[in-house]
Amino acid sequence: MVIADELAAPTRLMGGSGSSRPKFKFDKSILGLLPLFLFLGYFLLYPIASIISASIHDNKHHLTFVLYKNLFTGNYREAFIGSFKLAFYSMIVSGILGALICWSVVKTSGVVRTITSSAAGVLANTGGVPLAFMFIAAFGQEGLITKLLLKVFHWDLYGGSFDLYNFWGILLVYCFFQIPLMVIIFTPALENLRVEWIEANESLGGSKLQYFRHVLIPVLLPSFFSACLLLFASAFSAFATAAAMSNGSIPLAPLFIGNLVNGNVIPDQANQGDAMAMGMIIVSLFVIAAYLLLLRVTRKR
Amino acid sequence: MKRQFTWLDKTIIAFAGFFFIAPLIAAAEYSARGYGNKGHTLSNYSWIIHQLGFSPALWTSLRIAAITILIVLVLMVPTVVYVHLGGRKYRRLVEILCLLPIVIPVVSLAIGAQVAMPKSLQSTSYELCFFYVVVAMPYVYRTLDIGLQSVSLSTLVEASHSLGANWIKTLLMVIIPAIRSSTTGALFITFALSLGEYTLAVLLHFHTFPTWATNASQQNIYGSIAISVTTLGGAWILLILVAFLPRIKSLFARKERVA
Repeated sequence: MVIADELAAPTRLMGGSGSSRPKFKFDKSILGLLPLFLFLGYFLLYPIASIISASIHDNKHHLTFVLYKNLFTGNYREAFIGSFKLAFYSMIVSGILGALICWSVVKTSGVVRTITSSAAGVLANTGGVPLAFMFIAAFGQEGLITKLLLKVFHWDLYGGSFDLYNFWGILLVYCFFQIPLMVIIFTPALENLRVEWIEANESLGGSKLQYFRHVLIPVLLPSFFSACLLLFASAFSAFATAAAMSNGSIPLAPLFIGNLVNGNVIPDQANQGDAMAMGMIIVSLFVIAAYLLLLRVTRKR
Repeated sequence: MKRQFTWLDKTIIAFAGFFFIAPLIAAAEYSARGYGNKGHTLSNYSWIIHQLGFSPALWTSLRIAAITILIVLVLMVPTVVYVHLGGRKYRRLVEILCLLPIVIPVVSLAIGAQVAMPKSLQSTSYELCFFYVVVAMPYVYRTLDIGLQSVSLSTLVEASHSLGANWIKTLLMVIIPAIRSSTTGALFITFALSLGEYTLAVLLHFHTFPTWATNASQQNIYGSIAISVTTLGGAWILLILVAFLPRIKSLFARKERVA
């Protein structure tokens, strides 16, 4: 509908202007946005342009794409796969658990609601390093939870393959800011559900299962998927928690970039970090593009 | 919208609450342990304050947060107001521009800053302010946009102008008070972000509160957990207070009316 209007607009204008040639006219009203353009241009686009430029040059300033080719080999490849795996698993776990919790939280009100939503805000935003330390204290070898599990349930957390500093440990920590993030993102979708739909379903003789299958799932699925994509992007680019938890023991793309920035570079590949940063930007561009497409689907209804 | 609140919901919330609060309690217990597991003390908390570099780091972070907030106020509030008033046709463009920082991983932004920014800027920690504005921009834009949608801006501006106010006066004394709650929200997000941000600070080699806390943790693990508990607990309490503020205020207002 909207697109149709936009398509129709130029033809209408052309028809009205008759023989006069369409002339390019500078619209002065865009000057009001100049401060924003300048700011973003200098502090966002210029740095990105510099990364792009650095990533396609070797250190003798010759044009090359070998740095991008490197991303598909050896440690670089492993780092990207590690980040993908972590982002994917944490998206699945946090997406489902977060949606479940969200489902119950939106029904609350008053004090419970305030406490849960503020807790979600804190955990999702200020997570990072403090969250990592909190986990080391709680689930570490000497942690209270580890001790309690052993004493009460006779479950030795460290008997098996669990280690707070390996992949599964990091995944657990990631859930602690990803689930709250899901609760925050998914709440608006659930708040838009109408009681009338339940009533309509009942008056049409539908069962609870039918309501679930024919109303809830079609309505919520696009928002659920788009929320999950945001979770993926967030986990994929998270740095602070991983940096505080693992001292480079797990290959992750952001940690790798961090190492390259801090000077642990193979001398003849000074620009490899830039290529890697571009690789991360490209991945999250794809994810966010998919998110925007899904958002459009949800908004159309 | 109210659907039935069943025992299942109560169970889910109880479990979730336990899942999220248990580590915090466990960490609080850990942070109060004495050396060599001998009893519990609060000495780790006083250790924080007496630690070398604590107050300079906190002071740096607070200054950065203040300047970041100032830039957000000067740059973002007028821009979003402008888009709502005169530049409606640019709304999509501005929306996309302001959401752009979400696409760029902060690590990548840090590399870009290192490559692109002039040495004079890179030598002061105020460089971080500008990048914190960029990182906070999506959230700030959303919050301000929602706030402005709920007031009839053009009416307010016309009224203000016909009473003889100029643009700056209108912005400061009419528009900002009208969207006070979303302005506060946007500033609060900015404040929390600039106090807690770690990635940019550490990759650009600046000493802010979070990087100091991470360094300090290498000497005293109990102390660093005390710092974490304080940060998380403090932020949570602050947020709850902010959320309850309108209610407390209305309570006072009612009392005044009675009196």
